[in-house]
Amino acid sequence: MEEKLNQILNKAKETILDSKALEDLEEIKVRVLGRKGELTQILRGLGELSGEIRGIIGKKANEIKNEIEAAIDYKMNELQDARISQLLRDEFIDVTLNAPGTTRIPSRGRLHPISQIQYEIEDIFTSMGFVILDGPEVETDYYNFEALNIPKHHPARDMQDTFWTEDGNLLRTHTSAIQVRGMEKLSPPFRVIGPGRVFRYEATDASHENTFYQVEGMMVDRNISVSHLIFFMKSLLKEIFQREVTIRLRPGYFPFVEPGFELDIHCLICDGKGCSVCKQSGWVELLPCGLVHPNVLKYGNIDPEQWSGFAFGLGLNRLVMMRYGINDIRHFLSGDIRFLNQF
Amino acid sequence: MWLSLNIINTMVDIKDIPAGEIAAKLTMSTAEIDGIEEMNPFLKTVISAKILKVAQHPNADKLTIVDLDTGAEKLRVVCGAPNHREGDIVPLATVGTRFTEEFTVKKTKIRGEESSGMLCSEKELGLSDDHSGIMILPSDTPLGKPLSELYPDWIDTRLEIDNKSITHRPDLWCHAGFAREIAALFERSYKSPVDTSLADGFADKETLKVVIENPDASPRYCGLCVKNIRIEESPEWLKARVTAIGMRPINNIVDITNYVMCEIGEPMHAFDRRKLNGDTISVRMARKDEKLKTLDEQEHDLLQEDIVIADQKEAIALAGVMGGGGSEIDDNTSEIVLEAANFNPVNIRKTANRFNLRTEAAIRFEKSLDPELCTSAIIRCYDLIKQLIPEAEAVTRIVDTYPVKSPSVEIRTTTDFIRKKLGYDLPDGRIQSILTSLGFLIDKRDNHLDITVPTYRATKDVSIPDDIVEEVGRIFGYDNIPETPPFVPCTPPVINTRRSFERRVKEILVRDCCSIEVSSYSFVGEDLLNSLEINEDKELRLKNPLSREQDRLRRSLLPNLLKAVEFNARFQEEFHIFELGRVYFKKERNSDELASESTRISGAFYQRDAATPLFYSSKQTVLNLLSQLEVDSFTLQPETVKLPPYAHPGRSVVLKIRGSQAGMIFEVHPRIMKKLDIKGTAAIYDMDMDVLLNADKRAKGFSELPRFPDVPFEVSVLADKQSYAGALMDIIIKTSPLVKSVEVISLYEGKPIPEDKKSVSLKIIFSSREKTLSTEEIDKLQKNVVAELSKYGFGLR
Repeated sequence: MEEKLNQILNKAKETILDSKALEDLEEIKVRVLGRKGELTQILRGLGELSGEIRGIIGKKANEIKNEIEAAIDYKMNELQDARISQLLRDEFIDVTLNAPGTTRIPSRGRLHPISQIQYEIEDIFTSMGFVILDGPEVETDYYNFEALNIPKHHPARDMQDTFWTEDGNLLRTHTSAIQVRGMEKLSPPFRVIGPGRVFRYEATDASHENTFYQVEGMMVDRNISVSHLIFFMKSLLKEIFQREVTIRLRPGYFPFVEPGFELDIHCLICDGKGCSVCKQSGWVELLPCGLVHPNVLKYGNIDPEQWSGFAFGLGLNRLVMMRYGINDIRHFLSGDIRFLNQF
Repeated sequence: MWLSLNIINTMVDIKDIPAGEIAAKLTMSTAEIDGIEEMNPFLKTVISAKILKVAQHPNADKLTIVDLDTGAEKLRVVCGAPNHREGDIVPLATVGTRFTEEFTVKKTKIRGEESSGMLCSEKELGLSDDHSGIMILPSDTPLGKPLSELYPDWIDTRLEIDNKSITHRPDLWCHAGFAREIAALFERSYKSPVDTSLADGFADKETLKVVIENPDASPRYCGLCVKNIRIEESPEWLKARVTAIGMRPINNIVDITNYVMCEIGEPMHAFDRRKLNGDTISVRMARKDEKLKTLDEQEHDLLQEDIVIADQKEAIALAGVMGGGGSEIDDNTSEIVLEAANFNPVNIRKTANRFNLRTEAAIRFEKSLDPELCTSAIIRCYDLIKQLIPEAEAVTRIVDTYPVKSPSVEIRTTTDFIRKKLGYDLPDGRIQSILTSLGFLIDKRDNHLDITVPTYRATKDVSIPDDIVEEVGRIFGYDNIPETPPFVPCTPPVINTRRSFERRVKEILVRDCCSIEVSSYSFVGEDLLNSLEINEDKELRLKNPLSREQDRLRRSLLPNLLKAVEFNARFQEEFHIFELGRVYFKKERNSDELASESTRISGAFYQRDAATPLFYSSKQTVLNLLSQLEVDSFTLQPETVKLPPYAHPGRSVVLKIRGSQAGMIFEVHPRIMKKLDIKGTAAIYDMDMDVLLNADKRAKGFSELPRFPDVPFEVSVLADKQSYAGALMDIIIKTSPLVKSVEVISLYEGKPIPEDKKSVSLKIIFSSREKTLSTEEIDKLQKNVVAELSKYGFGLR
């Protein structure tokens, strides 16, 4: 019996040593240790033997079983290692390269930097309950000027050089044209923002464009105050710049608000200490805002005795330029991929 | 506009306040100050010196060597001027004197001779325009005195006001207005420069009549005749002040009228009385075909909306804009008529703009000036004339024609309203003291304030309670108001489906199709349209274009998109860009009678060396986009005939959604590529966003997973080279509802296929949701496919 066990062991060891593939080892495992394997048969036959011999043989058989398993494992590791080096040899590729054919194709597209900031601002305001509004780019004199308390021959029209179209209309000079359109559509209370493209009749240079982007904002409710306006402006700027910003309001004249303000922020470059960007003042003019003029509410069929509101206009180009230190406003409409790929 | 602090100081005592502090307070409460400038600071190191000797420079004909005595030391300078003589007392800019950023006087050698300073002309010192020679000081001038002491009037500090920030404040277009603000801001008293008691001495010794024909156009006109005038140079103080506020000194009368305008804000004019015909001045609208030559020698054809001042014969001034050449004062003028009037701002603005005469007078009148200023201005003017020419004499009373007096403006409001608007609990007392300091009269009744607006704020600037809120807020300081969130219901906002669709389209194109978003001008021009062969003059044109290249509004995004392709092709081998933007249609009108606008999604692929047709990249993008947008039931139809000239006839499809055209996909015609000077290939997609937005969308829903196996069937079909595999697929699809899908797996051209044919291999999947298809059923389906194909003339290979 013992001899038979030794035979099994020796034969198994021999074949294990000669194995060339993992599959061979699997086969040996089945043949010797499997359910109907040679060793298993012996172990199963133990019951017929007497107690003493059964103990000896049983012990021996288990030793042999462990030895064979160890030999298989050892050989298996050896073969696996060999297989890995084989793979490395046969299937080596230069992983420092990119996929062939994609080397030149950009791996991602880009939203225009103006769209990016516009969507950021839309998200900030929609999270605060603002509705997004829209209006035509070719506008009537009424919505762009008249209804904003800027009658014909008002000197304020000089502040916004206007493109006129052959049919007597104009290209909107500010997104404020959306205000009265919004009031006609919605009944108070409401909160709206209107992002869009605006136009000025202006020769272009590094800091002037004839086409640029703004976001208009307006909230109409009962008892809206300067204090509320400050709250929203601070929240907006904190979100945009992802930090606390110091702001100040000073009087600014826009016929469609009363009182009207220019909102300045502490220069982000020098943090208010004074530098060349802020012309040593420590402040940068950022956005005009104010409480909606009662006449404008009336144009929008809203009773100024019952309702009040604030409005603001934010220039997106300037904001992007500030954020990234862009020195020439003409880049935005250049269509130059070398510029657009940077954001 | 320049603000001289010397002038301000005559009305409110600010000697102890630094200019920077004044500027900061004004910026925060009144108007934006653009800059602070010290006038002639270099005068402090320019001193009086006596010329001891003038000698010829040994190495230069036009230069002299001048020995000087400053009282403290002897110096030598080299000088190029022709006029200085031994014994003259002259201004010497000592070494270190800094005239400008770039120019500081240094000790130097000029052509080998040492020079320790510079002798100066009046122009170099900023005292006049005279640059003919060195300024010669009076012979009794003490030596070594800085010119800042000899000419103290020329030492001043001026603030530059941002004119845009005062367009709504007619009262701020002068020093008095700012002096009043400064007085309120620093809680000091304001003293008017006008001494109204002077008018008591006037008497009608002679006759002057004023007739206003149209009180709407000219509500008020005041005149005064003054005799014994002597035209001469203004004294130093007046010249210095006029210079500080940015004007050029002319002569005493002109300088006085200019000064009064800048001092109290009323533009004035002085006529030479002896050049006037008759003793009646009329203010009227210009007659038909009337002409007028203004002071600047320009002759103008007037319109009937222009207001003129006329004597009994003709127009003598363009009212509120510029005087006429015929009645101008000259060196021999001895009698003048002073004019101070009030005109309708709209008329003035129209006239000034039409003649492009945006004069100091016009920019003030168009802001709506206070009519009360007229008499004050005349009195102040006369006061100054008397100071300069003591023998001058008013020979009339102020002839004041003021047919319709402006009503006083009263506003009723409450302190509660002001507090509510500011969002700050400002005490009643503070509110009232602020308003009083600004010249408002307050009558406090039970629960409200009756406020009388001072006339200089009443022309249109302050008229409603909200204006009062601003007055209180700005003087109190908006910075002192803390932020407060409003108390409002927090309901979710209504989604703007159009805008969010727009954003989704952009994000799909960027994230999934790796496209770069460009943004281009809304304008196009003829040349570009010509290169695309679509110059049909259908665009909405601008009345005032900036250039020929941008003189009309785009009807399509493609011209500018292709321009961007042309530009980027210089730097990139290949790219994919898109724009989502508006186009404008002149003929179609929207509800506001505006040119209708529609939003397009247009993209371009470019490759310098396209290995495979770029058309497919463009098509893939559209399919990808439509699939992500869940657009249902669209078709892509090949089109070879009805194409725009820039589309390649062999590589174009039309996108149709429910039968109507939604867009196109095509490669750009090689002819157009050549015209645009683009080497390589460009493929375009161009879609109407609104059609996509309004298209039916696939509803998402669950259906049971297939339980029976798919049965594949592959066929190779011979077809004409210029035929569409799409047609084959359509035929096969229609053979049975059990055809689950058809796809082209390969195309082959070349031997042994006949030259005008191609072989199309298709993979068809049959499947049933009800059962496993039997061999017989499969056989029948396959035969059916083959039969149908052959019916349409497609044989198996």
